[in-house]
Amino acid sequence: MLFNSYTFIAFFIIVLTLHNLPFAWKVKKIILLLAGYIFYAAWNPPFILLLWFSTVIDFYVGKALYMQINKHKKRGLLIISLIGNLGMLCFFKYGGFLLGNFVSLVNTFGINYHPAKPNIILPAGISFYTFTTLCYTIDMYKKHSKPVRSLLDFSLFVSFFPHLVAGPIVRPGQLVPQFETPRTATKKQLFDGLFLLSLGLFMKVVLADSMLSTSADAVFNAPDVLPSLDAWIGTLAFSGQIFFDFAGYSTCAIGAALCLGFILPQNFAFPYGAAGFSDFWRRWHITLSSWLRDYLYIPLGGNRGGKIRTYINLMITMLLGGLWHGANWTFVVWGGLHGLFLWTERFFIDKNKGVGEPQSYGGDHGFTKFLYALFTFFLVNITWVFFRASTFEGAGRILISMFSFTKGTKPLLATLAIIKVSIIIPLTVLIHWSMRSRSTLDIAYKLPWWLTGTAWSLMVILLIWSQESSNSFIYFLF
Amino acid sequence: MMITTNLIRPSILTLLIVIIMVGGWEFYLRQKGVPISYDDAAELWSDKRAKVYGPSDGATVFIGSSRIKYDLDINTWRKITGKDAIQLAMEGNSPLTILEDLGNDPEFKGNLVVDITEELFFALAPPYNTQPQGNINYYHKETYAQKASFQLSHIVESHFVFLNKKFLSLNAVLDNLSIPNRPGVMGEPRFPMDFWCVDFDRQDRMSSRFLTDKDLQHRVTDVWSFFLGIFQSLPPPKDNPVPVVLQKAKHAVDKIRARGGDVLFIRTPSSGYFWEKEQLLFKKERFWNPLIVTTHCKGIYFTDYPTINQFKCIEWSHLSPAQAVVFTTEFIKLLPQSFVN
Repeated sequence: MLFNSYTFIAFFIIVLTLHNLPFAWKVKKIILLLAGYIFYAAWNPPFILLLWFSTVIDFYVGKALYMQINKHKKRGLLIISLIGNLGMLCFFKYGGFLLGNFVSLVNTFGINYHPAKPNIILPAGISFYTFTTLCYTIDMYKKHSKPVRSLLDFSLFVSFFPHLVAGPIVRPGQLVPQFETPRTATKKQLFDGLFLLSLGLFMKVVLADSMLSTSADAVFNAPDVLPSLDAWIGTLAFSGQIFFDFAGYSTCAIGAALCLGFILPQNFAFPYGAAGFSDFWRRWHITLSSWLRDYLYIPLGGNRGGKIRTYINLMITMLLGGLWHGANWTFVVWGGLHGLFLWTERFFIDKNKGVGEPQSYGGDHGFTKFLYALFTFFLVNITWVFFRASTFEGAGRILISMFSFTKGTKPLLATLAIIKVSIIIPLTVLIHWSMRSRSTLDIAYKLPWWLTGTAWSLMVILLIWSQESSNSFIYFLF
Repeated sequence: MMITTNLIRPSILTLLIVIIMVGGWEFYLRQKGVPISYDDAAELWSDKRAKVYGPSDGATVFIGSSRIKYDLDINTWRKITGKDAIQLAMEGNSPLTILEDLGNDPEFKGNLVVDITEELFFALAPPYNTQPQGNINYYHKETYAQKASFQLSHIVESHFVFLNKKFLSLNAVLDNLSIPNRPGVMGEPRFPMDFWCVDFDRQDRMSSRFLTDKDLQHRVTDVWSFFLGIFQSLPPPKDNPVPVVLQKAKHAVDKIRARGGDVLFIRTPSSGYFWEKEQLLFKKERFWNPLIVTTHCKGIYFTDYPTINQFKCIEWSHLSPAQAVVFTTEFIKLLPQSFVN
């Protein structure tokens, strides 16, 4: 089920109504759990079994992990959880990819092996809910928190519909305590939630789908080298599309949860205003980057093993973070490029230790820092080429188009498309830059109520006027 | 500056502004006589595609490009035959992909009418087959949530005139600004809204205003002249697509017939400059005749029958609503018994 659909509107009204009726708290939690399963099953009912499998395994393994004193048995239980979760992820998400690479490898050695291509359906949200349950079992292994007392609360933690399919990736400590006490939204939370839902839908439907996706698709699907203008417009359109699509989803998720009285963690903090790549990863898909930091980078040793080891750990984390996004080497290269830029940044920070990090130059909003933010945005766009292109050949074609200024290429994009991207993207970068230390709700509250209302109504009118079909969110593919 | 402490007042203001603006826009469009028109996207197509599995004596499936969508009056068809007409044709696209999809569908055993617009049916190039394939993919992968959403959107679309994505959405209004493109960039053809109204059965109709407004008609004939100019100036394709198309069509037809269904080809009317060019570029002897011979199907070519060869299309290519009623009535009389009983 998509947030941008009539089905969700009807579904949400029903769930919100039921949640505010005078039922016992346990009944309300069961309703929310059923709502989560309906939300997921509306995509493909049989795959509910995977969700149940992941939930049940990790609930009991988690409990056993916490209670187990024997080091070897404890490790064994953790391995069971890792195999269960990562095994499922590997099969459904990477099965075809692994087989394809194996076939290429053996063919290289002259072995004539051509198996039938497996037709594996990728379950929606599998990358997200396996990471959600994995962080629980790892926390139990490390005794970072106490086990969740009831299977109901744990199931609800995994299957809470706002975050189920595309995050934010929630830690047990962030959500489970909220299930322990009865809650409905306060008036403030309800209207804040509705505002965020409207904003999220505006970002996704109006900006991502209506204004930007067509240009991005046209450029990345073009079979030939393009004029530089078209290639840059297409890449900028995609950088806008991926942000508005994913941040739009997260904003809807946070808004929907808030309407029910639950608080989900922030997932985006104006990333296109980031000055440097460390700053970017503190602002882009925050829950994933912090998950990777806490469950991959730090267990690998983090920055505790000397400079070389730190660089290696950083790159491993970014490469695997890239691979998480999709079963394609282009995603790995995307992650690798981010790793390379983080390396470079770290190298200069280490070299200039005592002089101060780039982000301290000129205060939080200095002109130098703004230029650095623009340079960061420029490099981020280069990385997006690999993220969006489905092949290296395609990525190469776009990059050549962007930088070679080849004569004789045929223009592709209509002038209107160029104008749309040329207005939306610079405005986005400027807004992100000015909002670096603020939140959207902060601004909504600081403005006069009539101005907030007017802006809100403009978003809703544009949302209705765009009349976009229910297009899937990009991150549903991950 | 008065600081907001909650969003209740802004939300009330939002609700008021949205109701006034959207309500006002709806009222204005209704005053102008704009009719309800449905979004003819993958969802609506899929809704009709799901209906092809009825008994072969219950419904006839129609595929083609835009002409059959205007020329077949579904209500007339229902009244005379007592059967339903399932409209799966797609404007500006080749029906070959859909023919193959129905051929490959073991559950489809019904009667199929294929309307041929030669320049589209015999084109294997991606632009003419991408959208049909997209609709087919959507149909086969449609989720329960999408089906439910479609039913809800049908209710909403049936009551609001402003819900016309093709002509009244934000992007459609921006496209109407007609900002000139760079040399070499071909924009989408801009048809007037009065030319293209889609009902829930996927039948296309011209408005009564279009039938009397010469300027609106010229806007459409200008588009046809532009496309016909392109067809005329294109070099012949490196590989002749006709034999490939004929074989694909034959395989699909044979599969449908083997399951007890039947297929009939029709060439609906065109007139004026469009017909002149089509006769020059797509001669009946090179395209239509080989199609009928290869597939061993009955074919109804409009010029061969006095009852359907006299229509003058006001924009050269499609029949008006009144003409469609007459054409459908006469066309039914020409059908084999298996298609009408």
